[in-house]
Amino acid sequence: MAGPDLSALPEILESRPADPSELLPLLTMIQGRWRHLPQEALRAVAARLSLPLARVFAVASFYRSLSFQPKGERLVQVCCGTACHLKGARAVAASLEKSLAVRMGATREDGRVTLESVNCVGACALAPVVMLDGTVHGKVSGPGAAGLRL
Amino acid sequence: MPGEPDSCAAGGGVPAGAALPGEAGAGSRPRLAEPLVEGTVDGVRVAVPRGATILEAARLCAIEIPTLCHHEGLPPEGSCRLCLSETRGSLAVSCMYPLRESGFAALTRSPAVLEARRYVLSLLVCRAPRAPRIRKLADEYGVSPDPRFMRDPDGCIRCGRCVRACRASGPEAIALCGRGFARLVTGPFGRPPEACVGCLACALACPTGKIAFSERDGVRRIWEREFELAPCPECGKRAFTREQLAFLGGGASALCHSCRRRLMARELGKAAALEAPGGPALLRAL
Ligand code: SF4
Ligand code: FES
Ligand code: FES
Repeated sequence: MAGPDLSALPEILESRPADPSELLPLLTMIQGRWRHLPQEALRAVAARLSLPLARVFAVASFYRSLSFQPKGERLVQVCCGTACHLKGARAVAASLEKSLAVRMGATREDGRVTLESVNCVGACALAPVVMLDGTVHGKVSGPGAAGLRL
Repeated sequence: MPGEPDSCAAGGGVPAGAALPGEAGAGSRPRLAEPLVEGTVDGVRVAVPRGATILEAARLCAIEIPTLCHHEGLPPEGSCRLCLSETRGSLAVSCMYPLRESGFAALTRSPAVLEARRYVLSLLVCRAPRAPRIRKLADEYGVSPDPRFMRDPDGCIRCGRCVRACRASGPEAIALCGRGFARLVTGPFGRPPEACVGCLACALACPTGKIAFSERDGVRRIWEREFELAPCPECGKRAFTREQLAFLGGGASALCHSCRRRLMARELGKAAALEAPGGPALLRAL
């Protein structure tokens, strides 16, 4: 796979001060733009913030919201926290795996969708919860979740 | 050498010639300018500069608290939890806990401490069951690995001493990456660290001997990389890698430790002779 087009990168880097505390904001922006962290982008971040590449990689590899493999165009996250688990998250997850034709934790081959589990998104009262591209959908039912077509 | 790490005490793991920057020891040494605070460790009365740690106070009393992640020359991290002691009725991390006022009373072998330490050891031994230091501790405390956590006994306890040593005296080429069980010391992208200069700071700082290296025919191998060793201009012994010398900059010389000491002694001798009456004449005559 040829490297992604990073021509938008300098603008992103320069949108924040060249300070080490900007590491996470920059990584989040890059993840948002390319749906993963291209290696060249991590190098550019390290150079911009004058940080060792090892430290940039350590932070990048720590957070689950950051990834090295491109995520799908749409991101479906099933909450499997305690409340959602008790309210049937497992059935929701199973029906989404079926309807979206992708396994939990994977990205569909056409790159259209990634299905993930998360642990509590802080909306337990709405359990079971599914997040679609960052938007919370509460009280989804197993079969209801299957209605989500991407 | 990798198999038998030195003790974690003073100056343990950083090679001479790789000077630690001033900030590196910050926080790990009692500040002598601070007023003294008094208290006891296991009932032994002791006075330490305010801000000294329980570990430092205990050492002053010649009371041993076992440590793994602590290193005198490096900032403390408190990651191994082996050095637990009890103070004010709760457990404290001795290598980090600062003593701020008089009247402290730390216990290093109370039942609560020993129980906690055994538990910590039962976890550490799952990670490095063959490391001599860990085995010795496990034997001493009568601890065996907890099979629930015996997932990947790769010999690394994730104490981060290697990373701190690399940060303090090298290019910070490695880091603890990932999280949870998958956490691992590695170079960026899980590959051999590109920035590594082959100085061995990490390997010598490691309490378990996890970081392997070898030297043969003037080539040092570490982190799946090879480094050519520069010969000492005096005796030809090879002590430093070319990359290390370049990293240290300022025309750092490849003089080996013994030649460095010998030359320095000669210079000091000369200087002393020059001060002495009749010295300069004597030196000229030599
Ligand atoms: S390699 Fe050694 S020094 Fe580094 S984290 Fe593991 S046990 Fe600690
Ligand atoms: S457990 Fe799902 S939102 Fe809290
Ligand atoms: S030596 Fe204190 S926590 Fe490791």
